[in-house]
Amino acid sequence: MRVPHGRVTMPDGTFDMPFYRRMHALVQGWQTLDEIPADRLPNADDRAACERLLHLEARLIDGLRLEAWLALFTEDCAYWIPADVAAADPARFVSWEFNDRRRLEERVERLEGGRAFSQIPITRTTHIYSNIEMLTHGQDGMEVLCNFLIQANLLGRVSQRAGWNGFLLRRTEAGWRIVLKRVGLFDADLSQHNNSFTL
Amino acid sequence: MTLSATQADGADTARGRYDGYFRPGYAHRDIYTAQDVFDQEMLHLFGTTWVYVGHESEVPALNDFVTRTIGRRPVILSRGKNNGLHVLINRCTHRGAVVCRQAQGNAARFVCGYHAWTFGTDGKCLGVPLSHAYGPDFDMEAQNLHRAARVESYRGFVFASLNGEVMPLVDHLAHARRYLDEWIDRGDCLPVVVRAGSMRFETHANWKVIYDNAGDGYHPPFSHISMLRVFARRYGDVDMQYYSGNFDEAPLISRDLGNGHTLLDQRPSMHAQSAWERQHVMPGREKMWEALSEKYGEGPAREMLDASTGSGLNLNIFPNLLIIGNQIQLLEPLAVNRTVVHWFSTTLDGAPDEVNALRMRMQEDFPSFGEVDDTAQFEACQTGMECVPEMPWIDIRRHMNTDAGHRGEDGIWTEPISSDQHMRCYLDAWRRIMNAGAARACDDA
Repeated sequence: MRVPHGRVTMPDGTFDMPFYRRMHALVQGWQTLDEIPADRLPNADDRAACERLLHLEARLIDGLRLEAWLALFTEDCAYWIPADVAAADPARFVSWEFNDRRRLEERVERLEGGRAFSQIPITRTTHIYSNIEMLTHGQDGMEVLCNFLIQANLLGRVSQRAGWNGFLLRRTEAGWRIVLKRVGLFDADLSQHNNSFTL
Repeated sequence: MTLSATQADGADTARGRYDGYFRPGYAHRDIYTAQDVFDQEMLHLFGTTWVYVGHESEVPALNDFVTRTIGRRPVILSRGKNNGLHVLINRCTHRGAVVCRQAQGNAARFVCGYHAWTFGTDGKCLGVPLSHAYGPDFDMEAQNLHRAARVESYRGFVFASLNGEVMPLVDHLAHARRYLDEWIDRGDCLPVVVRAGSMRFETHANWKVIYDNAGDGYHPPFSHISMLRVFARRYGDVDMQYYSGNFDEAPLISRDLGNGHTLLDQRPSMHAQSAWERQHVMPGREKMWEALSEKYGEGPAREMLDASTGSGLNLNIFPNLLIIGNQIQLLEPLAVNRTVVHWFSTTLDGAPDEVNALRMRMQEDFPSFGEVDDTAQFEACQTGMECVPEMPWIDIRRHMNTDAGHRGEDGIWTEPISSDQHMRCYLDAWRRIMNAGAARACDDA
């Protein structure tokens, strides 16, 4: 077995109570967003760069290149799959998953260790992102909302997942990176089957 | 190799209808795969015993309700006047439509969408439009929604039975009551609240395949190797790493609590000196420790944070309530090979926000890293059992003949953790209840 994610890198300030309040407020903002205010519309270059990042992110998942996928996330990132559709407070309400960087690395490590029975055989996916909307988040941040459709096949059974993603992106020296990927399944509060692949 | 009704009845009429599905150390696949057995379970098992329907904290205020099932029957658990709890059969007494179609809410009355027949939170029929057409003898009271014959709460856990003759709930719980108490009182006796959402896993497996697994202390190091390896490599000798070597010699036990209820007790190994210190890392661990130890001091903080860790108990209350870690699992049979497993998460009323936030992350830990692998095994079992008629018998022999069991000082029969006594015990209760149901049906006919 390869040991690709041995490092444990946790910057200060993640997953404390103020973090939960920021996340909750961010999502509430998305759920009540009307027309994007003119002063938050990104310039064409930033918009194009962020779109490229999203398309790369989807392509790496579908290609099962999860280590390269992880590299798109910041050290203080979160990968979040809520279990509700009402923007509940994640400090008081359970999610399907709410992973910090360390837990996300563990997730990938588990999947790539060859003994995760939920992914034997592995679920094949095709991610389609559409309805992409962007609004600036301070000087070097971008909020991205998009709809997603995931066509999946496990053990010959075809199934779909759908919903909307909320991304928070950050401009770094290495380019745009993902601070938050929030996978909002449109039926998150209803029964799910095997979602142990990368959504 | 399907057992026909006549084979199962056997030549010996003194035997029960369902005895033929068992032989020492084995159970027949039909109890997992046969449509007629499933139909009879919904009737004779879920229709006669105590079934868990919900937690009182889910319906705290007047007119609060949640919708659930008893077997496959849709029911409403509602909070009525004087704090009363009602369990109503959610089927209109008129044409049979499901009346309340929401998962939860607050409503003073339930109005059927079809012809607007209207019922109170206690099921009382309050209105029938244009009722004159039923003639002068029309009796409104005879139109009430049907109610569960018995509803009882044990310290917040609400059970219902369609059988008016069922034994009192505390007798039914038997020794499970003690462990339910220990689970409820664990977090400094702060009240457990079940309003923090749930995860619902739909599984292509019979509901008993999941019940089997809930008391299976044999599978963890094998089924969950992917999870255990990640945590071992990153965090060393943390919780659940005791599943190695001959783990039957570790202080891990399986207990027969009576009436089909069982327990896996992992606490001595899981918690050791400090549950908090033993636990592998959850998102936010360092930050929450910092915040609480600064505010309350290290000793009190450690005690508070103990309540954020898993309980170390797998308490299985037959037929549909499974307490695992800090979650309340409810099994909802949909069909002979389809089941929804609800994982209700819990918070502690009055605990620091940091503790409850960690409890949320903790309650996502096993479902996303472990339950998904269990589900793969459930579905593999169901497929194998359904598709190979030449091999009808399921092996439940572990520790049947090893003399490894003993009766504890508390009178509870105890075996090593990897024993199959969980399956032997609950299937025994299953057989008893099903045989009695079949005998009654025979008498009625």
